[in-house]
Amino acid sequence: MIVNSLRLKNFRIHKNSIFNFSEKLNFIVGGNGQGKTTILESIYLICTTKSFKSSSDSELAGFESEGYEVSATVSEKTESDVKVIYLRDEKKKRYLRDSKNITRISDIIGKFPVVLLTPADSEITHGYATERRRLIDSIISQSSELYFEILMDYSKTVKQRAALLNMIREKRLSYLFDELDAWDEKLVKEGMELMKYREKFLTGFNEYVTDAFRQVVELKETPVIRYDSIYVNGYDTPEKFSELLKKNRDKEIYRGVNLYGPHRDEFLFYLNDKLLKSYGSQGQHKTFQVALRFAQFFYLKQILNRTPVFLLDDVFGELDQNRSVKISSFLSEIGQAFITLTDFSNYQSLVSDTGNSCFNIEEGKIRA
Amino acid sequence: MSLIEPLEAVIEEFSKFPGIGKKTAYRLAIYLLRRPAKDVTRFTDSVTSLKQKVTFCKRCFNLAEGDYCMVCSGLKRDGSKICVVEDITDVMAIERTHEYDGLYHVLGGVLSPLSGVGPEDIKLYELFNRIREENVKEVILALNPDTEGDTTSMYIVRNLKETDVRISRIARGIPIGGDIEFSDDATISRALKGRITISNE
Ligand SMILES: [Zn+2]
Repeated sequence: MIVNSLRLKNFRIHKNSIFNFSEKLNFIVGGNGQGKTTILESIYLICTTKSFKSSSDSELAGFESEGYEVSATVSEKTESDVKVIYLRDEKKKRYLRDSKNITRISDIIGKFPVVLLTPADSEITHGYATERRRLIDSIISQSSELYFEILMDYSKTVKQRAALLNMIREKRLSYLFDELDAWDEKLVKEGMELMKYREKFLTGFNEYVTDAFRQVVELKETPVIRYDSIYVNGYDTPEKFSELLKKNRDKEIYRGVNLYGPHRDEFLFYLNDKLLKSYGSQGQHKTFQVALRFAQFFYLKQILNRTPVFLLDDVFGELDQNRSVKISSFLSEIGQAFITLTDFSNYQSLVSDTGNSCFNIEEGKIRA
Repeated sequence: MSLIEPLEAVIEEFSKFPGIGKKTAYRLAIYLLRRPAKDVTRFTDSVTSLKQKVTFCKRCFNLAEGDYCMVCSGLKRDGSKICVVEDITDVMAIERTHEYDGLYHVLGGVLSPLSGVGPEDIKLYELFNRIREENVKEVILALNPDTEGDTTSMYIVRNLKETDVRISRIARGIPIGGDIEFSDDATISRALKGRITISNE
């Protein structure tokens, strides 16, 4: 997919900005707080309906504005106009594709695939298991509408079941235990599906991670992601999962928390058979983060038969110049990318000869 | 801004309606104020008689004008089939298709611990009583296929395990996240015809 043009109205610091993009690399240059990341944020919004900074819509809308409007012309086999409109008064966001209102989020996710690499990715290799689950979920969700729907269903089930466990702890009424049986069944049904999906996904995805190491970072190290879940630890059928819940029912009621299921899964990153989190150097962490996003890119491209848009936010500041230039030239061969930079002096050569574009952003405006 | 008290009272009442904000409530109140007196009387009369005359069916909890609803008192209805729905609007949607000749049971909600709705807050025990007391052979579950609807269906199936009624679910002709109420008639007819037996066959 290609984002041909973009218009931001009252979107954060941008009052009214219009961009015509290159089909290859688009460098977005500017100081901190000038509104360059906002451009990536708006493209991400078009692709997913959300900000990657987990900002609320009222935060995205410019100061004292009535709301924001982000519109883009996107080509993916055919060309379509996409608009995201938020009005502060209505507290409502609308998503329009070719003037048609789209209400189901699963009709949006994955239609315009997007891959984002940011400094916040360090949380994926350094941080809690939640971050790794979020990464895996976002990749599978973009490639499978069914997975996304089951995931939504499952997270609602987890919340409902937790509320019930707490209720039972307070008043141990027999009909509540009766109800818990039904929520157990629901948790097992959707949970089992998710874990099956995740295991199958990882088998294929690991090859993409290995390839990304070879192609992009050109290292001979062997990366692998291992799945750690009740599913791979003996509870791989609905019957066994149910049994596990029955056996630990008192414990779950006492704690008031769902203790078992895919929301507790962990994904472990290994490099040459060593656990990255414990033994990896800073450089190896960074390399792994970059490789994960390239793996995501090629995986989505293969599964969806659509080329994702690649967003790189302030990443080159963290890599040495050689590596950055190498990644840029690789990117320009595989699709459209948006790269934010604070300092452009080292990358001048990339713009001049290859049909790439560069935008200087200052206080929410394009400087000529 | 402080308004004349009777006007403020009406705005206050309108803004309690679902989906109506203060602004719209104000517009509605002003609209009423500008209508001729007889129009306003007709409106308030109709609201009064709504509450006086419309009740809930003693058997299936559908809307009724007496003890029993139109469906339950209909002569050509097959009493051996009960279609379980969440809400009255679902009954209306299915009735519009003219495809179904059995009876209904309106739960008036679905299980949702987060909203404090448990088995005793909706008409589940009433359903189990009906199945025990009436000559029911088939129960058709037509709850919305979302998290809470699904779990409520599972709860019903678990509680009917000991009986010999056939339980079926309407096929997933209705998209996930799409309420029965908003689905078109053709989709509902297809869903009813394609129902799948899930137990006690
Ligand atoms: Zn009735």
